[in-house]
Amino acid sequence: MPGSLRVSVDTGGTFTDVIAVDSDSGDLYAVKTASDREDPSRALVTGVEKVLGLAGRGFDDVSLLVHGSTTATNAVLEHEFDGIGLLVTQGFRHLIEIARQSVPDGYGNSFFWVKPPRLVPLHLVREVPERILYDGAVARELDEDAVVTAAEELVAEGVNRLAVCLLHSYANPDHERRIGELLAQRFPELFVSLSSVVLPEYREYERAMTTLLDVMVKPYCRTYLGNAEAELTRRAGPRPFLIMQSNGGVVTAKAAGERPVNMLLSGPAGGVLGAIEAARAAGISDIITLDVGGTSTDVALIEDLTVRLTSESVVESYPVKIPMIDIATVGTGGGSLAWVGPNHSLKVGPRSAGAVPGPIAYGRGGTEPTVTDAATVLNRFPASLVGGELVLDRDSARAAFEDFGRRFGLDADEAAAGVLEVAAAGQVAGIRQVSTSKGRDPAAYTLVAFGGAGPLLAAQVADFLGMTRVLVPPYPGNLSAFGLQVTDIKRDLVRTYVSPLEPRVADDLDVIWRELEEAGAAELTAEGVEDDDVEVIRGADARYVGEGYEVAVSVPAGLTGRPALDATIAAFHAEHHRIYGFSYDGKQDVEVVNLRVQAVGRLHRPPHRSRYEAAGAAAPAPTTRDVYWPGEGWRPCTIHDRAALTPGTSVAGPGVVEEYGATVVVPPGWQVTCDPAANLILTKG
Amino acid sequence: MATTVLGPIELEVITGTIRSAEVEIEAAVERAARSPMIRDQHDYRVGLYDARGRKLTGRSYGSLIEPVFEFFGDDIHPGDVFFWNDPYNSAGSCGHVPDLCTTVPIFHGDDRLLGFAQVFGHHDDVGGCVPGSLPVQVHDQWGEGLVVPPIKLYDRGVLNETAFRILERNSRLPEHLRGDIDSEIGACRLGARRLTELADRYGVDVLEGGFDAIIENCARTVRDELLPKIADGVYTFEDYVECDGFTRKLYAMRLTMTKTADRILLDFTGTDPEAEGPINWAIDYCEGRFVRKWMGPVLRCLADSPERAAEIDINEGILDVIDVVFPPKGTLVTPHFGRPTGLRFFILIRALGIFAGALAKATGGRMPADHETIRIWGLHSRDTEGKLSLFREVLGGGGPGRPWADGSDVVHIVPNSRNLPAEFSEQRYPVLVESLELRSDSAGAGEFRGGFGYQKKIRSLRSSTLLSNADRSELATYGVNGGKAGWPYGIEVARGDGSTESLPGMIDGVPIAPDDLVTVWTTGGGGWGDPLRRDPERVRYDVAVGLVTEEAARREYGVVVTRVQGKVEIDEVATSELRDALRSGRGAVPMFDRGAYFESVKAGGGLVRPEGWSDPDDVHAVVDPATPAG
Repeated sequence: MPGSLRVSVDTGGTFTDVIAVDSDSGDLYAVKTASDREDPSRALVTGVEKVLGLAGRGFDDVSLLVHGSTTATNAVLEHEFDGIGLLVTQGFRHLIEIARQSVPDGYGNSFFWVKPPRLVPLHLVREVPERILYDGAVARELDEDAVVTAAEELVAEGVNRLAVCLLHSYANPDHERRIGELLAQRFPELFVSLSSVVLPEYREYERAMTTLLDVMVKPYCRTYLGNAEAELTRRAGPRPFLIMQSNGGVVTAKAAGERPVNMLLSGPAGGVLGAIEAARAAGISDIITLDVGGTSTDVALIEDLTVRLTSESVVESYPVKIPMIDIATVGTGGGSLAWVGPNHSLKVGPRSAGAVPGPIAYGRGGTEPTVTDAATVLNRFPASLVGGELVLDRDSARAAFEDFGRRFGLDADEAAAGVLEVAAAGQVAGIRQVSTSKGRDPAAYTLVAFGGAGPLLAAQVADFLGMTRVLVPPYPGNLSAFGLQVTDIKRDLVRTYVSPLEPRVADDLDVIWRELEEAGAAELTAEGVEDDDVEVIRGADARYVGEGYEVAVSVPAGLTGRPALDATIAAFHAEHHRIYGFSYDGKQDVEVVNLRVQAVGRLHRPPHRSRYEAAGAAAPAPTTRDVYWPGEGWRPCTIHDRAALTPGTSVAGPGVVEEYGATVVVPPGWQVTCDPAANLILTKG
Repeated sequence: MATTVLGPIELEVITGTIRSAEVEIEAAVERAARSPMIRDQHDYRVGLYDARGRKLTGRSYGSLIEPVFEFFGDDIHPGDVFFWNDPYNSAGSCGHVPDLCTTVPIFHGDDRLLGFAQVFGHHDDVGGCVPGSLPVQVHDQWGEGLVVPPIKLYDRGVLNETAFRILERNSRLPEHLRGDIDSEIGACRLGARRLTELADRYGVDVLEGGFDAIIENCARTVRDELLPKIADGVYTFEDYVECDGFTRKLYAMRLTMTKTADRILLDFTGTDPEAEGPINWAIDYCEGRFVRKWMGPVLRCLADSPERAAEIDINEGILDVIDVVFPPKGTLVTPHFGRPTGLRFFILIRALGIFAGALAKATGGRMPADHETIRIWGLHSRDTEGKLSLFREVLGGGGPGRPWADGSDVVHIVPNSRNLPAEFSEQRYPVLVESLELRSDSAGAGEFRGGFGYQKKIRSLRSSTLLSNADRSELATYGVNGGKAGWPYGIEVARGDGSTESLPGMIDGVPIAPDDLVTVWTTGGGGWGDPLRRDPERVRYDVAVGLVTEEAARREYGVVVTRVQGKVEIDEVATSELRDALRSGRGAVPMFDRGAYFESVKAGGGLVRPEGWSDPDDVHAVVDPATPAG
């Protein structure tokens, strides 16, 4: 009989965060353990043991385990590319070498830019005679003997992972499927990914790259997920073991291992989902998330509490076209180093002090000043962090900033304040990528700040952008792991179907949507989701006839036939206007490119009881210390323990709110209020 | 952050914001524009300028602001949008009529001019006698398309609807044109907000102090990091366009570069007379500010590493380093008013090439070889309802070999330019892509060879008309420091009757029947360094994967391979002997190699130099250059 504990495990590069929530009582437990790069399953199991120990419970009490990871991305970034092969249509063996003929960045960089190594070297690419046309018609039958010969050659060359990407296979997957069958019969040891399964969308280079990345991480992901599941089953018996995907949903571990590319960009998803839940509790629907870690900052723009997906992502320089939460990342975090750049400029990041040696103030051997040291110098931090475990060496940090400032003719305070200003400006650039670049004014959104260093700079970042409200959720340092608790099972299905949106195609659209819905629902049922909890959402990627880029729209539920078609067109014009500021409603024709269905299996949200409630009565009284503010200098400020700011409490800045794992800075001109859900709401003016 | 003086913090935030604003404006153009030439091929430029029209951004070149001052003086107000495409009346800042330039003034408050945001992009069609507005056989600019002198498209926020209607009426693809212009104006306004926000935060004076520093920093970087790598002296170089659409001969662009401790003087005297056809480039306006900013980025090749090179922005500050001298009116770079300019991109690329060649001579050969990456080919046709289908591709070419790496394959000099996926082309246009490959042996041989060009085969599925706007179809990309020339461009049609017709690089109006198969080959990059010094293992790999033939491996690299059970292996002994024989059988290795066609033209007396102008190629390779850059 499964118990009541929902456990979530967020595996990062350095630490594995684990949270357990009792779905009956709402009690919440959080622990951290060191990650294990080679086999993440070991740290995963250790972390679960640790959190159960803290809760005084056993494996029997676990009802559900959710796992999110950034390690699949690491597998790509650190992986040897050896042993990956590719089969393509005859005439296209240079597909990966050619890529899109792009040279990044500036004009004339083609003189000096060196193309990066390809995921698959040319000698491991083979052509197979066959040809399918854009409408799915077969122009040339598949030469099966040639497939077997090519595979034999590649295996002899040491290939153990093989991607298959044939032209127009999104329109007709028969040839790829047949190749899959032949390979399974002849080479059962070979890991194989078919592009028509991984990403049935047009654009052959991007589809091939996504398929290559999928097959590349397959052995690694399957192995560690399999190990984790076996170990958990051995101790707890069969329990749902769900894996976070790039689209913000979860799937079973088995399904995740089949299409591991969908795990690749799932790292920041937990935090975004956690931020959405905090905003929901605060009654706010439009937010920009600011997730500041040690080396980088992830930002996402959320409207109507709904994540927006993009398929324009890259890992290193490799495109990954799977739907993922639209996130921008900038290389500024709490551990980012301050340094003297070209032309004697004052730079912050992207190089970071990381966990080792870390900031100077941590006293673990760091010698170069960081953002964290700057905040330390200005007394934004208490004397020690993480509940007293880490005593800050303020004097060393100050000495470093005296040196650093001298190089610019600044005193230590000015230099430290400057480093925070430059760091904030870096985060501002990331927010503009997801807002103004897409036609949104950030001033209309609430900034939700989390991660260890998020609440430190949030108000300063907001100032740059004309934003006047910042939300800091409870336990901002653990929000990503918490976010894993509030997700749903999601499957994205897509099929390319290119056609003008004219009345004659309404029935075709219905047929395809229905097929996708049935396939999606069947997948969820197979994963144990009850019928009542299944929801299917129709969508389409459309464009004005002649454009090369599509806009994704959702189509209201319950519509079929002509009304569904009309709704799709109307939604397209509206979305185009929203993104670009103009549309051609009634003036230009619209065509559909892809039809999509998202099948969602709703998981019930656990209630959770704020740790602050219990602590409230015993919370320490406010204290006072001097804090430095640019333009004002040092002034005495009130320092609050977060637990003391009970719902309804409101205090004016300048001040600092401290808690385990995060520090909330409230600059002059801002005030902070605790809302009924224990969120801190910072407002300006 | 209250402040009254510019300090390092303010400067860093201002610099970073302007740099990211450039990226932001680019993203806005790209997302909303309609012409594939802008959206996919990325043929557009954006820029932010100060109130004096000085360019602040530096990822790429831009147009100029001077036409606004010249035509409107003080009549510059919030809500104005300036607009032009006139190659001559824009002080040479729009090279050809398909480039439509949009400029928005930026104000702080109602009356304090802070600067300008500008976008110009290559639109699909602005009229003229050939779809796509780049006719090959045209005698003046009025045949190339609609010419718009600097006008106000918006006057204090009010759209000049009449002008807009005239523009639209003159395009074969009016809905593309309208979408492009809307996107460019929207993007300029977005960029404008970045500057006003900075003025709000730091004050106008601090901001303008920041502009000065950004411009000075560019000049300082070039002076301190790049100029010391160039030996002081006077160096000449020249290169050629092979045809003007009417006459096939060498049209030379000539350069005398004088390098002193802290400046570079570029003198184009000796450049051939203006052409009858559209290969002229009107740059002798406004002290050559446009071309100085255009050529400056070549210097980045001398940075300590390719990564560092990519960081160096070239803005208005380059004018402090590069001076320019033009010949009198009437040459390829100083054409008389009204001469056609549509295919000026050949000579615009030549300009970079002759600067790089002169720098190669001044650095002991430590510059990249030549590459040619802008050419357009296409098929246009009309469907049964008369609707125009314009399929055009800007196909890249092999990148240059350089002292630190082989040339990258099929690159495009325009950043982030993308080719058209076969799966897109086949959905959208009546074509079938039979194959898309790298062209074997096309890369110029070298210790670091050039990159490979394309070999693309496309079948037309209905009656259509072919156009090709390509130079370097006979002349080759030159090799540097003993590296060999790459292979030139080619285009041919295989007809249904079994015949094959080879076409010149510059042609339009070629009828194509259904099922005719067109093959396009693009240029390989020039090689760098002596091919006999190339690591034999790298030659072996290229042979094994079919990029270099066994014959070329022997001939160009002196590498002999054998096949053992299907595996390609190096015959060490034979290779050593062959390399020795090749080495002893040749004389001094020349610094430059321009390929067989050039040699034959020269031998036939087809290269006539001005009096007193000696052969700039008369210099030898530096056999073992000191530690190469990068």
